[in-house]
Amino acid sequence: MENTQITVACHSQATYQAADPTDTRPTRARRWRGAALALGLAAALSLTACASNERPTSPTDSPGGDSLSGTINAGGSSAQTAAQEAWRAGFQSAHSSVTINYDPIGSGPGREGFAAGAYGLAGSDDAFKLADIASTEFTLCASGSGIVEVPAYISPIVVAYNLPGLSDLNLDAAVIAHIFTGQIKTWDDPAIAALNPGQTLPATAITPVHRSDKSGTTGNFTDYLSQAAPNDWTAGRTETWPQDLGGEAAEKTQGVRQAVSSAAGAVGYIDASQATGLGVAALVVDGTPVAPSAAGATRTVAASQLESGRGSADLVFAINRTPSEPGAYPLIMVSYLVACQQYTDASQAALVKAYLAWAVSASGQEAAAANAGSAALGSDPTLAARVGEAVDSIR
Amino acid sequence: MTGLDLIEVDSPVTGSTGSSLAPGRAQALWRSSQPLASTRRQRRRRIKDRAMTAALAACALIAAVPLVSLLWTTVSHGLARLDPTFFNQSMRGVAGVGGGALHAIWGSVLITLAATALAAPVGLGTALWLVECADRSRSALTSGLARAVRAVVGVTAGIPSIVAGLFVYALIALVAGPGYRSGLAGAIALAVIMTPVVESACEEVLARVPGELREGALALGAPQWRCVTSVILPTARPGVISGVLLGVSRVVGETAPLLLVAGFTDSMNLNLLDGRMASLPVYIYSQWQNKGVQAAAYDARAWTAALVLVALVLALHLTARLSARWATRKEH
Repeated sequence: MENTQITVACHSQATYQAADPTDTRPTRARRWRGAALALGLAAALSLTACASNERPTSPTDSPGGDSLSGTINAGGSSAQTAAQEAWRAGFQSAHSSVTINYDPIGSGPGREGFAAGAYGLAGSDDAFKLADIASTEFTLCASGSGIVEVPAYISPIVVAYNLPGLSDLNLDAAVIAHIFTGQIKTWDDPAIAALNPGQTLPATAITPVHRSDKSGTTGNFTDYLSQAAPNDWTAGRTETWPQDLGGEAAEKTQGVRQAVSSAAGAVGYIDASQATGLGVAALVVDGTPVAPSAAGATRTVAASQLESGRGSADLVFAINRTPSEPGAYPLIMVSYLVACQQYTDASQAALVKAYLAWAVSASGQEAAAANAGSAALGSDPTLAARVGEAVDSIR
Repeated sequence: MTGLDLIEVDSPVTGSTGSSLAPGRAQALWRSSQPLASTRRQRRRRIKDRAMTAALAACALIAAVPLVSLLWTTVSHGLARLDPTFFNQSMRGVAGVGGGALHAIWGSVLITLAATALAAPVGLGTALWLVECADRSRSALTSGLARAVRAVVGVTAGIPSIVAGLFVYALIALVAGPGYRSGLAGAIALAVIMTPVVESACEEVLARVPGELREGALALGAPQWRCVTSVILPTARPGVISGVLLGVSRVVGETAPLLLVAGFTDSMNLNLLDGRMASLPVYIYSQWQNKGVQAAAYDARAWTAALVLVALVLALHLTARLSARWATRKEH
C-alpha cells in the first residue's frame, strides 16, 4: 500500500511528460522496463514446458503393455501417503498416460469423498462399517454394486518419546494408558521403573502429545489400549481423542512429531516411518519387550482374523491386540484401499483394478515398504489369494 | 531540536550583577543562573533525543530481523536442492529422493497469470467507476452505491484466504460436482483475494491524477471515455502497474485456497481448464506434510521450493518498487 502511494505521489507529472506525443525518444524508464520484460520473458522461456522425467515411454518399455490411460483421483488416509507415493511412482512409470493423484486428507474425509463421487478410490485406516455400506449411496458405483476393501498398508505405530540420553525404554499398555490419562506424571514413576530394571530414569515431567484431528492412528492406538489394558483405558476405541484427558494436542503426524521432538519429556504416538531421531519404546507383551518392526506387525496380522459377516471382496481385519505369538508387535495399523466392485465408468474400473492389483502385489508391497517403512502384506497364501480375488472382482 | 538549542544558547543574558534592588537582584541572579541551567537542560534534551533515536532505530532493526532471518534460513536450507533437476523435472514417478518442482512452478505461474487476468480488469474497472463516475455524480443513488461498493471492497480485502477458497469450492462443487479441481478454479479463488488489493491501489492512483489534466482534456472537447483512455490511464499507468504487481505478490504465496480448489498432482499440467494443477505453496505444504522414510529429501525439496517462491515474491516487490522509482526519476 505504502508503495502505491509513493508511486502515485511522484508520478502524475512524470508520465504527463512521457505522454507528450512529440517526444519519441525512449525514456529511461521505458528502456529499463523493456529490459526487465525481456529478462522476465527469457527466464520464463528457460523453464521448459516438458518435464524431463515425463517423456513418454514407448509402449514396449512398459510392462503393462499399455492400453491404460486416464486419471484416478484418490484420497484419504494420510498414513498411506508415502506408500501411495511409491505405488503411484511405480504405476505411472509403467503406464505413461495414466495420472494418479492422492489427497492425504484423512480417512474420514476420504471415505466421504469416495461415497460422494469425488474420489474414484479411497485409502482408509478404517473400513466402512457394515451399516454404512448398506445405507450409503456410492455415487461412482453401479447401482446394486458392493464395495471392495482390501488391506494394502500395514504399519507399526510407535510410542515415540523425547528423553535425551535414554535410548531404551519399555512400556506396556497399562502404563501407556496411565501416561496418556495423566495418572503417571513423571518419567521416574515406579510403574515405569518396574518395566525398566537397571535404567536410571530422569525425574522429568511427562508431556503426553495426542492428535488434535480425527485420525486412524488415534483409532488404532486407543483400540490397542482398550484391548490390551481394558481396566486402565476406559475410553474405548475412538478416532477423536477424548478431550477430558488433557495432554498436548498437535495436528497430524508431523505436528505430533514436531511437538515430541521439541520438548524434553514429551511422548506421542506416530507412524513408525516418521519416528527417525526420536526414542521409540518397546511394548511389553506377556512380560517380553517387543520393539516395533515390520516383521512384528506382520506377525500380529497373521494372528488376527478377518471380520465375519462381510462380502467376499470386503476384507477387513479385526486386529488381535493381544497376540500370543512371540515377537508380534500389537500396536499396528492396517489401512485399506476402498473401491467399487462395479463402476458405472468402465475405463475408471480398468484403471482402479490395475492400480489396486499393483498395490497389493508383492512388488508393490515392497516398493511401499521401501518408501514408507511399512510391512508387506505377508506371505500368507490364503490371504494373498483372497485379496487377489477381491481386486479381480472389480468391473 | 537544533533550532531550540540555538535559542537557548543565544537568549540568556550573562554576567549582569550590581543592582541592589531586590527584584532586580533576584532577576539578575535568575539570569546569571541561566547558562548553567540551559546547558543542563540542553544535555538532558540531547540525551532524550539520542535515547529516542536509538529506540526507534532498534524498532526498525527488530522489524528487519524476521525478514533477514527468514531469508537466511530459506537460502541456507534451500541451496541443497537448487539444481537443474529441480527446474526440469516434476514429481511424477518419484518416490523418495530426486524429483523437481517444474510442474509446481508452471502451475504457480499459470494460475497467477489467470488470476491477474481476472482481477486486474475488475479491480481497475471498479476503481475507474468509483473515481471517474460515481464521485463526480450528483445522484444520491450513485453515491450511495459507491459507498456500498467501497464498504464491500474493504470487507473483501479482509476476508481470510481460506474463506475465498471455500467460496470458490462451494461455487464449483455446485456446478461441477465435489471432486472437481482445476487451475482455473484456483485462479478464481486467487482473483477474489486479489481484486480488492488491485482496486484500492488503483483508486489511490486515479484519485491523485491532477484535476487540471481532466479539465484540460474536457476543455479541448474530449468526451469522457477519451479523457479516461488518453489522459487519465496513461498518467496513472505506472501506479496501476505497481498496484497490480502488489496484488500478484499478495496471492502468489497463497496455499489454502489452492489446496482446496486446484489440488495437488505429481505431474505436469499446463491446461488451466482440465485437471489438478500443482503450485509452489501447495508443493511446499505437501512435501513437508507427507514425508516418506527418507524425510530429508522431502524437507530439502520443500526448502528449495520455498526459496524459489521467496525469490519470486521479492522479484515482484522489487519490480513494483522500481517501477515507482523510474517514474520518480523522470521528474527531475
